Parts: sequence; C-alpha cells; structure tokens
Amino acid sequence: MRVASLKRPAASRDRLLVALSVLLVLLVLFMEHLAPVFRTLFPELNNPVYRRESFLQLTLDHLLLVLVSSLISVSVGVGAGLFVTRRSGREFEPMVSALAAIGQTFPPAAVLAIVVPLAGFGFVPTIVALTLYGLLPVVQNTIAGLGTVPPTTLEAARGIGMTQSQILRRVELPMAMRVIIAGVRVSVIINIGTATIGATVGAQSLGTPIIAGLVGNNIAYVIQGAVLVGLLAIVSDLLFERLERRFTFGE
Amino acid sequence: MIELQGLTKIYGDKAAVDDVSLRIDSGEFGVLIGPSGCGKSTTLRMINRLIPASRGRILLGDDDVTRLPAEQLRRRIGYAIQSIGLFPHWSVAENIAVVPGLLKWPKSRIAERVDELMALFHLDAGELRDKYPHQLSGGQAQRVGVARALAADPEVLLMDEPFGAVDPLTREVLQDELLRVHQHTRKTIVFVTHDMDEALKLASRIALLNAGRLVQYDRPIELLTRPADDFVRSFIGKADLGLKLLSRRWVHQYQQHATVQDASLAQTGYTWETDAEGRPICLHGGRLNAEDREQRTEVNQEWSATPGMTMKEALSRMVWFRVMVLPVLDDQGRLIGEVTMHGVMGQQPCA
Repeated sequence: MRVASLKRPAASRDRLLVALSVLLVLLVLFMEHLAPVFRTLFPELNNPVYRRESFLQLTLDHLLLVLVSSLISVSVGVGAGLFVTRRSGREFEPMVSALAAIGQTFPPAAVLAIVVPLAGFGFVPTIVALTLYGLLPVVQNTIAGLGTVPPTTLEAARGIGMTQSQILRRVELPMAMRVIIAGVRVSVIINIGTATIGATVGAQSLGTPIIAGLVGNNIAYVIQGAVLVGLLAIVSDLLFERLERRFTFGE
Repeated sequence: MIELQGLTKIYGDKAAVDDVSLRIDSGEFGVLIGPSGCGKSTTLRMINRLIPASRGRILLGDDDVTRLPAEQLRRRIGYAIQSIGLFPHWSVAENIAVVPGLLKWPKSRIAERVDELMALFHLDAGELRDKYPHQLSGGQAQRVGVARALAADPEVLLMDEPFGAVDPLTREVLQDELLRVHQHTRKTIVFVTHDMDEALKLASRIALLNAGRLVQYDRPIELLTRPADDFVRSFIGKADLGLKLLSRRWVHQYQQHATVQDASLAQTGYTWETDAEGRPICLHGGRLNAEDREQRTEVNQEWSATPGMTMKEALSRMVWFRVMVLPVLDDQGRLIGEVTMHGVMGQQPCA
C-alpha cells in the first residue's frame, strides 16, 4: 500500500495521485466496457463482468461504511488518547491502550459473529467491527503524538501564560497532528480493506462482487472487486500523505 | 520590583528552598547563583508560580503574586529558559507575537512590536521573520526566545540559564546583547546561572544560594571582596580572584591621558603615532625590556580597548601582545586615552 509513497519527491507523488484517481473513477464508471478483456482472460465464464449492482453504487456503499466507521474511530480514539494524556486520566492509559489493542487483535469476522445475533444483519454490525478494528492506530498515535511534544515546550507555554485549553489547542494538538493523522491514515486504509467482509453479513460494499465471485467460482468478479478496493486504498493513502505533509513544519 | 519574603518550598520532608528573603529593585539585574540543587531554579519558578510556594510571600510591585490568577500573572512576567522552548510549529514572528496575542493586542500593534524587537536583537526581519525555529542557529533561537519573553513589555524578566546550551563564543555575544538590552529597557531581571563569570559580568546584585538557603545577597564587588563565609569563598574560587575583580572593573575607571609627543619616549618609554584625525596608527616602545623600545606595535581591533571594556579583557590583551600599555579608542576610533600595566597595579581593585 505504501509502495507509491516511497521516498519520491512530492511533485511526482502528486502526479501519481492524480493518475490513480482518474484510473479509479474510470474503472468505477466503465467496468462493463472491459467485458471483452475479461472474456478473453476467462473464456469459461458466462458473465465475465459483475452486473447485479453498478460498481458506482458498490463504491459509494463501501465509502459510506469506511467513512462512518472511521469518523467514530477517530472521535472515540482521539478523545480517549486526549483523556489518558491529561493529568486526570493518566492512570487509565494502560487500560485504554489494552482495550484498543484487544479491539484490533479480534478478527473482524469474529466481531461480526458476535454482533450479528445482537444487532442483526447489514450495516450496523459491519460498522461496529470496522470501528473496533480501526481504533487502535488512532488511540496509539494520539498518545504517541502528544508524547512527542517536549516538556520544555509545555513549560514555556505555561510560563508565558497560556491556559490549559490554549496549550492543548495551540501547542499540543498542532504539534501532534502529523502523528495523529498518520494513525488515522493507517486506520482508514485498514478499514477500506476490511470493509469488504461486510458483504458476508449483507452490508453491500466492494466486497459483494468478491464474495459472489468466491461463492460462484467466478474469478473475474473477485478481480474486479479487489482491484477497485486496492485502488481506493492507494488513492486514500496518497491523499493522507499530502495531508500529513501539510503538518510538517518548515521542511 | 520583586520581593521574596521567607520563601520556602518543601518536597517531602526536605526543604528545596528554605526561608529565602530578598528584594530586587526596579531596573536591577539580579542573578541567582549556586551549585546544582541549591534551589535557584525552584526559587525562580515560584515567582511565576510554575511551582507553588509552600510558605512565604512574593511581591511583584505591590501585588502578592498568589492573589493574581496564574495565567494573568505570567503574562506580566517574561520567561526565557535554557532549551529556549520556542514553538516549533510557529514561525519566528509568530513565536515573538504569542504573549501580545494572548493579551489581545490589535494586529497592527503586534506586527510593529515584532519588528521593533527583532531590530533590538539585531535579527534581520526580512530574512528571519517567516523562518521556523529549527532553521535558526543556536544564537538566533536564543535571541528569539528572549525577544519573545520581552514581547508584551513585561514588568519583570525571568531567565533560567538561558545561555547554558550555546557555545562559549555565542554566549559572550548574547551576554553583551542582554546587557545592552537591559540598559536600553531598564527591565527588572532575575537571572539563574551556575557560572560565576556570567554572574559577575551581568549582575548588579548576586544572590548566592546553597542547599536551599540564601548565603549572601550583595553587589558583585562586595561578594568578591567581602565573602560572608567559607562557602562563598570557595564558590567564587580563590585561584583567579584578582582577575574576577578586574572583570567588574572597566577601562574608563583606569583610563589615563595619552601623550602624543616624542618627548614622552624618554620619560615613559613609549610614544603614540596618530593620523590627522587623531586615530592612533602605532605605538613606539612600550615593552618591558629597554632594548625593545624601538619596537612598533600596530593599533588594530585586537590591540586596543574601549571605555566600556572590562579591565580583565584589557589586561588579557596587554599580556597577549606583551605590551605594557593599551590605547583606549572612542567609537570613531580616535585615541582618547590609555591604560597601562602600571595603572592596573597601582589602583586598589576592591575600591
């Protein structure tokens, strides 16, 4: 996933971002037009292109799953990270870190198996699984990012007369932002991949053609879904990389 | 004006600062000095309440500092620390502007103030304004740190070993600049250091602390000539006491009339040669041995003195060039007098 963002100059990474975004949009809109290609590749298949739902619809559903779960992960994760780095919440730090780690060690499929009987099929259990799964990198990086603020900077901020909330808003968060965004980036990329399994419990996503392909022994469906998920992940990664660069100061 | 009354800080059952009382008048340069762990930094940080005092009072002007909200108090007090503590995500201008910003000054006034301070510290605003701290040299960053502390025109400036982390050469320059800025602004300064030479150079009053207690609070010259006890004596260091005294003596105090006549050669063993504007070109003679009397010494930046130079430095220059006399120049480079080895030895240093 990170191959594209290896140490190349920013300008060439931006060109890559544009090129891959265009490719993604074209594939989402015009996958059917590739039918002849898939027919030649897989002559034994009757339907070489997935047509039950449009790829545009599947992509939007997929993005909605990622967006909702990431919003929850980020707000809960950053909130928890902030809480345990304040004086009042410091003793909860090991507990919160452990809980977030457990959330990630649980396989998403296992979470689905637990949540489906409680919340039913579809959107909700998938969101729960993705949220839990994406929480750890956000919590970890929030704690780590706030930890990178040197104590002398904090002392200077206090010494010149900033209030606690001014120190948080104007010094700690801006200085930790790059690391926090790196955590959100990992969380979102993981969730773009993991959202495919939502298809197994009826949450429509780009996983739907993949599951259909696996069940129906149609390798072309699997490729179509997987390529789009992969592209989506790379494009998001490059977007986050740009965002991170914005919070790198004066380099 | 700052007054500490019976100031005490207790950690566990140990007093880090024990019943310290002293008063630093407006415009004075007070230095807190002592060995590591003597409580000098703790004392400083109790003044702006980064550390709460266990007992005692601190008066800032007429206000008891504990009666003021901590943030408001700190905005009235400039604070500069060793590691500078510049905000790495803000430009130089934004760093300097932070306290005026907290005090909600209008934007135009803040911008003016930033330019004014950058000029005061010889920081090139055009070049450095938008630089980030990690792009600055150590000396530049330290200047920005002090400029930030002065930004909102505080009544008092607290400095906690601000020059501890810069190289000796830069430290000298920064000390000179701080003295110049102090003369210019007449701020009350409380300065913490463990370096006696730094204290002697900067202070108008020195408070020597040991194990949390104030041992002696005096003018530098008193500290050197009338140490209160053996601890003070040993802390000052006996080995170079004479030189330390001379570091509190200035060339203008020892300056004598310089004769520009050939006749003086026979009398004093040396004579000055000057150009039409009165700038000295060289010295004939002035050496210890009579046979060296024909020797010429060129006057230049290294071999000359200014009235504001310390006698320690002037003496050092005489020793280095092995000449018994040093020309004193005004800021146009004209010869206005001389200091001599005889003059140094002839005057009581403690006077």
